[in-house]
Amino acid sequence: MTRRRAALAALAAVVAVLAAYPAFASGYGVRATLQVFMWIVLASSWNLISGLTGYVSFGHVAFFGAGAYAGAILVAKAGWPWLPAALAGGVAAVLLALVIGYPCLRLRGPYFAIAMLGLNEVLRALVSYFEGLTGGGNGLSLPTLDATIPIYYAMGASAAMVTLVTHAIITSRFGLRLMTIREDEVAAEAMGIDTGRHKLYAFLLSAAGPGIAGALTARDQGYIEPISVFPLATTITMIVMVLFGGKGTVWGPVLGAVVLFVAQEVVWTRYPYVHPLLFGAIIVAVVLLMPRGVLGILQIRYRLPRTI
Amino acid sequence: MTTPVLEIERLRKRFGGVIAVDDVSLRLEAGRIYGLIGPNGSGKTTLFNCITGVERRDGGRVRVSGERVDGLRPWEIAQKGVGRTFQVIRVFPELSALENLLVVTRGHLGGARTRALELLRFVKLEGLRDEYAGNLSYGQQKLLEFVRVLMRDPTLILLDEPAAGVNRTLLNDLLDAVRQLRDRGKTILLVEHDMKVVMGLCETVFVLDHGEKIAEGAPGIIQTDERVIEAYFGR
Repeated sequence: MTRRRAALAALAAVVAVLAAYPAFASGYGVRATLQVFMWIVLASSWNLISGLTGYVSFGHVAFFGAGAYAGAILVAKAGWPWLPAALAGGVAAVLLALVIGYPCLRLRGPYFAIAMLGLNEVLRALVSYFEGLTGGGNGLSLPTLDATIPIYYAMGASAAMVTLVTHAIITSRFGLRLMTIREDEVAAEAMGIDTGRHKLYAFLLSAAGPGIAGALTARDQGYIEPISVFPLATTITMIVMVLFGGKGTVWGPVLGAVVLFVAQEVVWTRYPYVHPLLFGAIIVAVVLLMPRGVLGILQIRYRLPRTI
Repeated sequence: MTTPVLEIERLRKRFGGVIAVDDVSLRLEAGRIYGLIGPNGSGKTTLFNCITGVERRDGGRVRVSGERVDGLRPWEIAQKGVGRTFQVIRVFPELSALENLLVVTRGHLGGARTRALELLRFVKLEGLRDEYAGNLSYGQQKLLEFVRVLMRDPTLILLDEPAAGVNRTLLNDLLDAVRQLRDRGKTILLVEHDMKVVMGLCETVFVLDHGEKIAEGAPGIIQTDERVIEAYFGR
């Protein structure tokens, strides 16, 4: 158990450093770390439904966008403070997941992936259409507010929360049941596991984080438009982060988010044109060379628990 | 007359123009071992799938301990006390052997763990309890699938070719286990191609051919039935 205590101590140290970070960091440093937190939320949430449960979602940014619009509308039109608006963004995303979960989770494999892709496009079209509420294609501006540091903490707490929830799920029988859906859904049902209900729970859980992150991001940036909160590229990025780090593990999505975000920032600032090329190369390399991701390979080779 | 554990009335299933199960009726009493035999494609596995809800039936009724189960979802039927294994092994490959057993349980986890370890010991897999099920040998996976069914303590157990690919020593243990289950009041229906197994184990045998039940009776009588011989060897 000393290893466990060492890991906990290291974790506590990281949390303490991150909590103290805004006191001495540059504006850029805080903003970049805030983005890392956001990617951790997105990647870990995607991991719940797609890495753990095996339902690969190609439209997960839909929940981010739904949360962003719900939060932004509440702030801009109803004058809500940003924190309750962020929670409302999470609730909106979960409600959306509830409505579309029933029909979409009946679909398996590529059909589910395509349905989720379609959902995202439909939402983007809808927010463009309802101009009165959303500002349509012109976007929606929020009142100016400098809250980057409190939002840094809120996003950091969200990232910690999603990671904790993932840990709790992966070490529970509920988590094992989700994995049986990924492994063999027919066998899971024949063994008395109510796969429909379990899939739905995983789906709802996977929508909450992106909804909150979307609302926080909208507040922080002060302006949103359909193409900025529903981009397919965001879904792709979260998928790549999870695949790189190791799907179905606790820390894989976190590792993927940190490494790929840093790589992206470094490359982005130096060679703007190489960036998409490099990202594409990483996708190909991960899929071909290590489909289980970094932690997935270590987990298999050294027989580590999924809690890595 | 006691309520049968499984009662099938005029069950029908068709795939396009092929009638896979044609008006089959069966009655299984508690505490007995039944065999289901027939040439390839005679509808044995389809019948299993219709009983367990994996396939939707096109007609007929299925009752488990007197309760209608046709039309229910597979997991609901499983929760009514029906357990099954598959012809093609369906363990959860990226769960450990122990997790494969724990995951199908409900209620107190500690009790489930004790029982799971007992069952792993019973099939001599206790040393491999933390190994991924996908890394076990074919025979070991087969045994794991068998004890996974027992974890839920079902009243009716459907075994789809339990003997296929299992070596003699293991097979004898497995058959002993099936007899013990019967002695504890469980009802077993097994599909099997190994006639020695069927004749040595089953008290009643049903024979399917082209989706129809063509014979039913004690193994000795079935062996001499003309329609059965014809179904297997041709006229």
